Amino acid sequence: MSHGTVILRPEKLEVHGIVKRFPGGRRRPEVTAVDGIDLTVRSGELVCIVGASGCGKSTLLNIIGGLESPTEGLVAVDGERVIGPGPDRGMIFQGYSLFPWKTVAQNIAFGLEELGWPREKRRERVAELVGVMGLEAWADRIPKELSGGMRQRVAIARALAPEPDVMLLDEPFGALDAQTKRVMQDHLLEVWRTTGATILMVTHDVEEAVYLASRVYVLTSHPGRVAAEVPVPFAPGDRVPALKRDPAFLDLRDQVQDLLLDQVRL
Amino acid sequence: MRLRRRTGRVMDRDDRGGGWAPVADAPQDAGPDGDHVIDWRNSLAAKRAPTRGTPQHELLRIREDISTRWRATLIATGLVLLAGLWLFMATGSSSDLLVPSPSETWGGAMRLYDDGVLFGDIWASVRRILFGYAISMAIAVVLGILMGSFRSADSLFESPIAFMRYIPATALVPLMLFWLGIDELPKITLIVIGSVFFNILMVADVARNVPKELINAAYTLGAGRLKVLRRVVLPHSLPGIIDVARINLAAAWAILVVAELLAAEEGLAFRIARAQRFRQIDEMFALLIIFGIIGIITDLSLRWLRNRSAPWARA
Repeated sequence: MSHGTVILRPEKLEVHGIVKRFPGGRRRPEVTAVDGIDLTVRSGELVCIVGASGCGKSTLLNIIGGLESPTEGLVAVDGERVIGPGPDRGMIFQGYSLFPWKTVAQNIAFGLEELGWPREKRRERVAELVGVMGLEAWADRIPKELSGGMRQRVAIARALAPEPDVMLLDEPFGALDAQTKRVMQDHLLEVWRTTGATILMVTHDVEEAVYLASRVYVLTSHPGRVAAEVPVPFAPGDRVPALKRDPAFLDLRDQVQDLLLDQVRL
Repeated sequence: MRLRRRTGRVMDRDDRGGGWAPVADAPQDAGPDGDHVIDWRNSLAAKRAPTRGTPQHELLRIREDISTRWRATLIATGLVLLAGLWLFMATGSSSDLLVPSPSETWGGAMRLYDDGVLFGDIWASVRRILFGYAISMAIAVVLGILMGSFRSADSLFESPIAFMRYIPATALVPLMLFWLGIDELPKITLIVIGSVFFNILMVADVARNVPKELINAAYTLGAGRLKVLRRVVLPHSLPGIIDVARINLAAAWAILVVAELLAAEEGLAFRIARAQRFRQIDEMFALLIIFGIIGIITDLSLRWLRNRSAPWARA
């Protein structure tokens, strides 16, 4: 390999030097929400970002999704610069944001219709995802008839349907009760294992981050910077509920928690 | 007297006040042959026990439902009160007002019917409203959605519309008759002018209330801006738009009446003006009641349409 050419292949998702400043006004100082964040997500990886409130994690995710533009810096997916939103980056929001007038099946089909999939293919894909998410009995119901956990499953299915390159999850389980949240975590892991999706997830729950992610980025607050990048050594097969009682898991969780506590300012 | 609560604790009168206190030395599981034990819940003592909290009467609870029976009773009472007021004014000799009785009013309505003008007048007025208000709502939906969705459109249109909205449409009636003659055109134009500015601003408010997250979700699912307007903003706004139409319809009727009073050859308000000229108060009353009936029918139909077209938005 002494004379070969080394091609640096781009990571699935690259975030370089993202800065987001909100201009001030009279009586209002300029606010720097995000101050120079770098991160990468490899293909098929599940990465979590944890940070206290005010670390700009939602802003960062919106920038990656193309919903907001950064003041400085660059986001690239498969080496292509992100300049706006698109179905290649599926997003899931804390508030589910399902279309309330559409049934579960119609919600899941929304992105496929936008991509111009033919009806038959659409129906197959929706049926497949309804099965994966265990929503068979609910396919023709509208969101207000569903529980919070159900709604978030629909949101995940809807984001998965167009087969995005990257899934961006913004505190997806933040509004769920503790029991439903645990079920949904295992469900997300299962979806991740079966689909091989590339997932970047924002959360403030450290245990959740360490349980799910292969790497955890810890952000500082006011402004948001990367305080640490923590690799999580557990194999995908080890990520079962019992792991949460494993001393090695608890140890790592406490380390990350301490990193985060250093950042909390009241 | 001692008694036992459901929890098993034996209670006795508190010697300090009127309350109950647990008895410390009582055998806590004493049976019928121990202390005198009675069921707290059914005892006379429980009924006489001190109370906590303020009870609220069913009819006076803020934002709570009432029973169907009460609801029906109150609705009927409201109608009876209105009818009673009418009867009182019609028969009360103390009144200087000339108020026709219900039967006289019915007679007036029948006279209009026999003259063959009643349904012609109703249709003339309803037709003007249908045309004018359809145009008004069409303009309002397009401009309102644009203004509610784009800050640029909002900045451009808001001041001129706010200005126009404060010119009373009734003040434009002479001008419109002068410009457009006394045909149907000035009346329909006046209905549009009299309602469109309110409709635009209220539809814009409805469109502004579409959650940003739904719009963002649509973007990340591959929808462009036009598609977001058509597939997210419009369907989410639909029930609100129907409500706006329902609320402002009264304004359209008000301006139509003014236009018909001044210049028309048929129509409900024209007929009222004519009845006044011939001092036929019974006919005037019949025509007023027809206005009310038409109003209630359209209001109920639009409510029904709203619930039918957007069951997801029903409370």
